[in-house]
Amino acid sequence: MIRLTIDGQEVTVPQGTMIVDAAAKLGVDVPIYCYHQALGPLGACRMCLVEVEKMPKLATACTTAVSEGMVVRTSGPAVDKGRRGVLEFLLINHPLDCPVCDKGGECFLQDYTFEYGPGGGRFQEPKIEKVKDGPINPFVLIDQERCVLCQRCVRFMREYVGEEQLLLEGRGVETVVTTVEHEPATSQFTGNVIDLCPVGALLSAPYHHKGRPWNIEREESVCPHCPVGCTSKITAREGHVIRMEGRPIPDREWGWLCDRGRFGYDFGYHPDRLATSIVKGKENTAAQATRQVAEWLKTVVDQEGGRGVGFIIGGGHTTEEAYQLRRFAAEVIGTDQLAISRTEAGYLPRGLNGTFDDVKQADTVVLLGSDPYDTVPVVHLKLRDRLLHYPALRVIGLGPLPLTRDTLPGLDVLVPPGQESLALALAMAAQWPQNSDVQTLVGSLKEFELQGVTAQTLVQLGQYLQGAEHLVLLWDGKEPEMAMVLGVLARLREKPTAVLPTFGPANWRGYEHAGFSPRFEDLTAVLEKARDGEIKILMVFGADLLREYPNRQLVESAFNQVEYLVVEGILPPQGAQHVDALLPGAAWAEVYGTYINMEARLQVAMAGVQPPGQARPIKTYVNTWARMLMKPLNWDEEWDPFDDDSGDLLPFEPVPDHVVALAMPPEAVGPMTLVTGAFIWESGQPSEILVPRVPQFPGRINPAEVKDMGLSTKRGHIMVSQGSESIVVAVTADPQVPKGILWVPQGLFGTNHLIEGTVTISGVTEEVTV
Amino acid sequence: MKPEWKAWAQEAKNEFPRANSALMPLMHRIQLSEGWLSNETIRDVAELMELPVQYVESVASFYSLFHRQAVGKRVIHVCVGLSCALKGSDELMHALEERLGIKEGQTTEDGAYTLLEAECLAACDKAPMVQVNLRYEGPVRPEDAERLLSEEVPS
Amino acid sequence: MSAQHYLLRNRDVEGIDRIEVYEANRGYAALRQALKDYQPDELVAMVKKSGLRGRGGAGFPTGMKWGFLPNDGRSRYLVVNSDEAEPGTFKDRELIEENPHQLVEGIIISSYATRASEAYIYCRGEFLRGAEQLKRAVKEAYDHGYLGKNILGTDYSLELKVYRGAGAYICGEESALLESLEGKRGNPRLKPPFPAVAGLYGGPTVVNNVETICNLPPLVTYGPEWYTSMGTEKSPGLKIMSVSGAVKRPGNYEIPLATPLRTLIEEYAGGMLPGRTVKAVIPGGSSVPLLMPDQLDTPLDYESVVKAGSMLGSGGCIVLDDRVCMVGATARLVKFYREESCGKCTPCREGTYWMTDVLERIEYGQGQLSDLDLLADVADNIAGKCFCPLGDASLGVLVSALKHFRHEFEAHVADHGCPMGARLYDTVNH
Ligand SMILES: Cc1cc2nc3c(=O)[nH]c(=O)nc-3n(C[C@H](O)[C@H](O)[C@H](O)COP(=O)(O)O)c2cc1C
Ligand code: SF4
Ligand code: FES
Repeated sequence: MIRLTIDGQEVTVPQGTMIVDAAAKLGVDVPIYCYHQALGPLGACRMCLVEVEKMPKLATACTTAVSEGMVVRTSGPAVDKGRRGVLEFLLINHPLDCPVCDKGGECFLQDYTFEYGPGGGRFQEPKIEKVKDGPINPFVLIDQERCVLCQRCVRFMREYVGEEQLLLEGRGVETVVTTVEHEPATSQFTGNVIDLCPVGALLSAPYHHKGRPWNIEREESVCPHCPVGCTSKITAREGHVIRMEGRPIPDREWGWLCDRGRFGYDFGYHPDRLATSIVKGKENTAAQATRQVAEWLKTVVDQEGGRGVGFIIGGGHTTEEAYQLRRFAAEVIGTDQLAISRTEAGYLPRGLNGTFDDVKQADTVVLLGSDPYDTVPVVHLKLRDRLLHYPALRVIGLGPLPLTRDTLPGLDVLVPPGQESLALALAMAAQWPQNSDVQTLVGSLKEFELQGVTAQTLVQLGQYLQGAEHLVLLWDGKEPEMAMVLGVLARLREKPTAVLPTFGPANWRGYEHAGFSPRFEDLTAVLEKARDGEIKILMVFGADLLREYPNRQLVESAFNQVEYLVVEGILPPQGAQHVDALLPGAAWAEVYGTYINMEARLQVAMAGVQPPGQARPIKTYVNTWARMLMKPLNWDEEWDPFDDDSGDLLPFEPVPDHVVALAMPPEAVGPMTLVTGAFIWESGQPSEILVPRVPQFPGRINPAEVKDMGLSTKRGHIMVSQGSESIVVAVTADPQVPKGILWVPQGLFGTNHLIEGTVTISGVTEEVTV
Repeated sequence: MKPEWKAWAQEAKNEFPRANSALMPLMHRIQLSEGWLSNETIRDVAELMELPVQYVESVASFYSLFHRQAVGKRVIHVCVGLSCALKGSDELMHALEERLGIKEGQTTEDGAYTLLEAECLAACDKAPMVQVNLRYEGPVRPEDAERLLSEEVPS
Repeated sequence: MSAQHYLLRNRDVEGIDRIEVYEANRGYAALRQALKDYQPDELVAMVKKSGLRGRGGAGFPTGMKWGFLPNDGRSRYLVVNSDEAEPGTFKDRELIEENPHQLVEGIIISSYATRASEAYIYCRGEFLRGAEQLKRAVKEAYDHGYLGKNILGTDYSLELKVYRGAGAYICGEESALLESLEGKRGNPRLKPPFPAVAGLYGGPTVVNNVETICNLPPLVTYGPEWYTSMGTEKSPGLKIMSVSGAVKRPGNYEIPLATPLRTLIEEYAGGMLPGRTVKAVIPGGSSVPLLMPDQLDTPLDYESVVKAGSMLGSGGCIVLDDRVCMVGATARLVKFYREESCGKCTPCREGTYWMTDVLERIEYGQGQLSDLDLLADVADNIAGKCFCPLGDASLGVLVSALKHFRHEFEAHVADHGCPMGARLYDTVNH
């Protein structure tokens, strides 16, 4: 540790700390443009000049590391003049168009000029003209004239994200930031440059000219689209969310968002947004609709008892709403038929759940079926961050298709679909052959040979698993047995072993915390009971079961069978003809509440706007129904989802140590297997802003297969069939995908008409756009 | 992409195997044969070097000798450094502009000449100094403009 | 005047750029001697003893620089800076075009001394002929066993490659040069780490100027005492001065350091053109302050020139005569820095742009008196605040011109134009 004095105050910081960060520790603000802690020092803007005793010239606080006994002054005549000079330089070629700039009022150039800058301009020469409002992509605009060339954006994309899509072009005073030949930047993370840009050069296209600092309100929030739950801020104006920004949390979050999260905030204003209640196909008043549902509930409960009612929750509800619904179900209706809408069959015990802190310490990362870039993008960035700090980071992909990438290179172990847990168990058996749990796990696999994986690879994998000092596994949740295998692994390793579940719905932990069963079996059981007539009234909140549940036929027969299907949501679900009452719900940003993310961390999202029309939060619905059913709910004691001891993480629970033998997988039959997975662009609620970015041909298949079907293009539509069912899928030929695998995002193209497994494919003649 | 570029890229990589050191030698060589580096060429170079197009473009645009616009058969650089200016390089530039009917920075319509200014060419003893396709010629007095233009294109 | 050339031997020996001629004139004898008679460390000690200082501009003691290389077993690089682009300097071009083998021999000796296993010559992009000459010389040296595996039968091996820049003065700055050599934009690097610790490809690297390295063969041949017998204690040896401007014989001259400026101009360069008198001299390349006519007796050694208020720099000596407009000349030089600023840091990028515009305005008669203070203040806001020395380099002439020739600037303002009628400025696109 190094001790130094800054502005007369003493501070102790680790060796290698830059003066600027040491000053920040004391609350001393040194103005900066180019420096960003995540990106490291650059020393380009020269804004951070400070005086260091014994140094002949002013020093840049961002590039000067502290040393023992250093004496630093962050103000004084020399420093003040230096800063004034730099600001003046930055302004000479700046268009000074703050009144029409989106960043007006939230701009470092404005702030610093106000604080340290020159009083008036002395520059009389012509300014250099550059591009204004040029597109980086459909979401990000650049005004090169306002750019201070701090390079934060360029460095972020190149060094941090690893996707070099912004560049410095030209030299000297003619230098500009641009995209190559004005090709739109396609990275998942381009929007972050808007937050990073300290001035008004990089702007949000959807927010362009939409708000001014004095007519907007900002609230702390959490992104609702995927289980990362990135910390964010929403900007609201006149009852609409008009922007989302990242929200850094010191020592924990940099505040990065993926573009899906940053720009997909408009789902509340989707043209199909539900704002009126619909009963039996007809629009109705909120009061009548609510009363109608109450009557149905009463009838069913009177005739069948509470267990004639099933509740399924999904979508983007808060933990509190789930709690209110659960209490209504339990206390007013008297049913325990509660489930969460799930697409994956796996469940991760709390005790195995790691946090992002584990990522920061990991030396080995195993991707179990999940490519974080596509499933939980900001976790991909967190892994990049780790890789930059720890270049030896070992990344292993285990799944039917490659999961590592150029930006996160590593080793891919390709296994047949559905055999990841077997592969992991066999690797463990290679490494810990004597362990009885492992022996139990692989007991019935004596004859089994993992296709395409050599014994050597398994041995290697086993060694990596044991050798890892800090192991992080990202799990797609597809194979339920995986949880058990992971439990055994964690016990065997005796070193930190952290699992991060990448599956949704985003707040499933929150629903679980509120008392809903997170288990897929229970969801299936509720649907089967509905199909079998045991459940008469199915109350669905936020879920779109026909899209989400992997076996569409079951949902359809359940919907056909139940007497009443009541659906609450913000958009009409698939199969609206089945729905007896459609109730408009309040969306994210319209209710205050907590979300629990993939770390099992509780995070609060404030409400910033009112729900539209008749839309209302769950609490309003359940209160009304409870009163109508003459069992008013008592909310005297507000439920606090936070635990006194564990703070914002859910309390720890021991991992079940029950171990049974893994079953032999079914023999592979056909030449083509359908595999589905989460895909961020299709996760969460649909956004109109995002339409230009959402991939139009998201299915992936090996180019050889496309060729075999006579499709000459790189993209096309293919017919995928199984038994009597067929669907048409838009695919891109991708050499990364092994032959024999067709990968399709969950919930798209009606994939759940088919069961994952063997399918047959053929080309579709329909004209294809390329 | 010209078929021989692949071999050139390989040769550059053999000579400069580390970092991206082969990039500039390759661009030099291609520019020598093509005259300039078009967007397509930049893409091809990126592919040959296995680098992002953005990267190649960013590097190319930093250096004043990489032409990102088509140039004439003869590229004339007139040194406008102080020592040459003291000996009349401005007048020389004017004479060339007049004679060619173009301004500095432009290319004659027939694609024969491009006229550019150069910063000090490190030949101040022979001011005013001119480069024709990077071959030094000096001193070239304003009245020598005509002679300069009638000379053979140096290889 | 020295009768014999040591660095500019091309002046004495016809065709010395060919290896046969070079060899016939003691060529590569110093290398043989170095490999046979000296251990690497002994050579470093010799260079230290000679007091040889870097000729690239900063005058940093070469032996000391070599001594900074860490002894950590990593393989080392020697990089020769042949990016010569400082206005007024043209010595390295002659050295590489006319006598490339001398440089190659110097490089092999220096690499052996610093235990470098790879060496690079970073040759300015505009030096097409220079690069060709070097490439040919390098090939000849390989063919003759001076380069490659087991040089002259010893166990020392060295690879030498010629790399061409592509037009960027900043790539003369050593860290920008290394970036460029790695195939990147030529932006200077953050220091520390210095090249000696993490230079080319992250390895320990020595960067030296062409002329510096060309000193090695004579140094080995004649010994350090010969070297220290010339010049002063702190500035021993020989220096090539490039003289341009209003003199009769512009050109490169090899002088013992501490030769008076007057001697350089009047004897070596043949004196002023008929009818011209010295108005001011830029003694060490475009980035150093002016020396005035009353300072012509300043000895040209590092310390004396500093004492006189300027710097010896790279030895590019531009002689300005009484017909030169100082505003136009200053504007021309500052514009050079504007054109060549890499654009990374604010004060250099914007400041050189601003100063150029103001200077041009004054030259064209649209200046105001307040512009003079403005220029001084803008210069002060650049001074010492840039990422690399280029920003400061743009101020040398300007600040001293404002000091010594303020009346000329004022006259431009008062007369709304250039009183000398000098048309130094017309090519600029206005
Ligand atoms: C802007 C700038 C330009 C430079 N240009 C050159 C150059 O063209 N040639 C050169 O040898 N050194 C140049 N230098 C100095 C080099 O950075 C470095 O100090 C030198 O090459 C070291 O060699 P030496 O110790 O042999 O002098 C330049 C420095 C700066 C800051
Ligand atoms: S990673 Fe997930 S939570 Fe974060 S911004 Fe993207 S969609 Fe939202
Ligand atoms: S913040 Fe220090 S130089 Fe930019």
